[in-house]
Amino acid sequence: MRSSSLLKVVSLSLATAAGFAGTVRADDGLVVPDGFTATVVQEGLGNARHLAIAANGDLYVGGREGLVAMRDKDHDGKIDETAKFGDVQGTEVRLYKNWLYVSDDVGVYRYALKKGELAPKSAKETVVGGFPKERQHADKTFALDPKGTLYVNVGAPSNSCQERDRQEGSMGQNPCPILEKYGGVWVFDGNKLDQTPANGRRFATGMRNSVAIEWNDAQNALFAVIHGRDSIDTLFPALYNAQDNATRQAEEFHKIVDGGNYGWPYTFFDTKLGKRVVAPEYGGDAKKEPEAGKYPNPLVAYPAHWAPNDLLFYSGKSFPAQYQGGAFIAFHGSWNRAPEPQAGYKVVFQPMKDGKPSGDYQVFADGFAGEMADNNPRNARYRPVGLAVAPDGSLYVADSQKGRIWRISYARK
Amino acid sequence: MFRRAHFTALGLLLVSAGAARGEPPVATPPAAAANAAVPANPASPEDPGKRLYVRHCLSCHQADGGGVPNMQPAIAGGAWVKGDPGALALFVMTGGFDSAQRKDSAVDNVMPPFAQLGDDELAAILTYIRQKFGGGAAAVDAAQVAAARANIPK
Repeated sequence: MRSSSLLKVVSLSLATAAGFAGTVRADDGLVVPDGFTATVVQEGLGNARHLAIAANGDLYVGGREGLVAMRDKDHDGKIDETAKFGDVQGTEVRLYKNWLYVSDDVGVYRYALKKGELAPKSAKETVVGGFPKERQHADKTFALDPKGTLYVNVGAPSNSCQERDRQEGSMGQNPCPILEKYGGVWVFDGNKLDQTPANGRRFATGMRNSVAIEWNDAQNALFAVIHGRDSIDTLFPALYNAQDNATRQAEEFHKIVDGGNYGWPYTFFDTKLGKRVVAPEYGGDAKKEPEAGKYPNPLVAYPAHWAPNDLLFYSGKSFPAQYQGGAFIAFHGSWNRAPEPQAGYKVVFQPMKDGKPSGDYQVFADGFAGEMADNNPRNARYRPVGLAVAPDGSLYVADSQKGRIWRISYARK
Repeated sequence: MFRRAHFTALGLLLVSAGAARGEPPVATPPAAAANAAVPANPASPEDPGKRLYVRHCLSCHQADGGGVPNMQPAIAGGAWVKGDPGALALFVMTGGFDSAQRKDSAVDNVMPPFAQLGDDELAAILTYIRQKFGGGAAAVDAAQVAAARANIPK
């Protein structure tokens, strides 16, 4: 492991902002690579989550406080018109044809967008409704392919499918009954209305929570970055200590295929061993490996608890060639590393070629969290949570602490 | 598994605690209240209460007792941490599963029961959180925990 690219990458990224040459924004400490500029286009949106940008540049933001539409009328990089609309408090927003698709914890909805209209005036239509109301990992983030196939992340309302969730020593339910209705991706016809979960088909399973889910047109495939499990130390203290918990359970980047099983809750990918191991709830001893070939290894194993909350494949034209086809990932940042130092809170670029990682990931935007008093995420200055590419190729990043939106653009020197 | 009668008092207690705390204000988290409640001179590292808090409680409620927005509630600044020690001990031993207050909770995760810990251990943890996050509320002794343990619903 000492010489693996995985660990090299981890140590490099832990060097954070100091480790890469970049331009620091004076007012908020955000740092982006040389040649790039980050400007604030909006703030004060509260607990913002994902965002989408229309062909005319109109910006749509989903969040826990509702939906917001924004327009830069005179194209000077500043928002001139902001309109709240709808009644959906959630995370996802996506544009598909002449519709704005959004979701909350229990459904996926859409609004018809008329030409020239900023906030849709049309009535909300339910695409899929009636997901069971859950608290944990409840966000129904989704992706749409060009045909309108709707891929919904149905997160597991559990950490590791223990008989008693998050209770020390409680063993895993086997088979895990949660997987019948949760912990995977369900597909629906995004062009049909008033579907229920029963109309969906389980496309992939063994995925604890995949907030960061994205369709890749060039690869004609679905990808996700999956949140790894929490608390191996407090639940199984004879096997793991706090430092193990803070560092070993990868956030897993996968290509998601029809019928795929990505190993939750029976296993997790251990970044220290560089291999998948059996979870302690299922007889794992911190070394034991699952049956060979049963679950795929991740394309990339990102550090534990970084909280991948958005994934985007760069298809814009204005960033340098190395960015073409690569992936940006917004890491919201950890809480479950405590008492060890929290980590994440950054936007990472993952170089990719032909749908496969082609190099170590790079920190692209950092400095969001600030000093973060008491090592508590509550005190993070900003937390990156949503990504979108504008028609001009610039990358927009949304923050959930204060609802700030940055535009990151590239100017050739 | 919990009988309704056992939860009446606790439910009331926690409802009022939640109201007092005004949780969970994501945009305006209880940081100020939490900080105000923390004594200038927290318990020493040798304090068994602190050691046990780090071991069993900290990853969710965090070092400052401030919780994590949307995920786990704050202890610091709340009403029940400095309220009746018996109710506090009973809540920690029974956890949030199936509880009345869970229905109205705005956070994602549920506290598991900690009845597996001994009376002395629980007394140390509760004393620590009451002193550090409860504005210096009175210590809890093992006898109080034992009395509360007798009230755990069978």
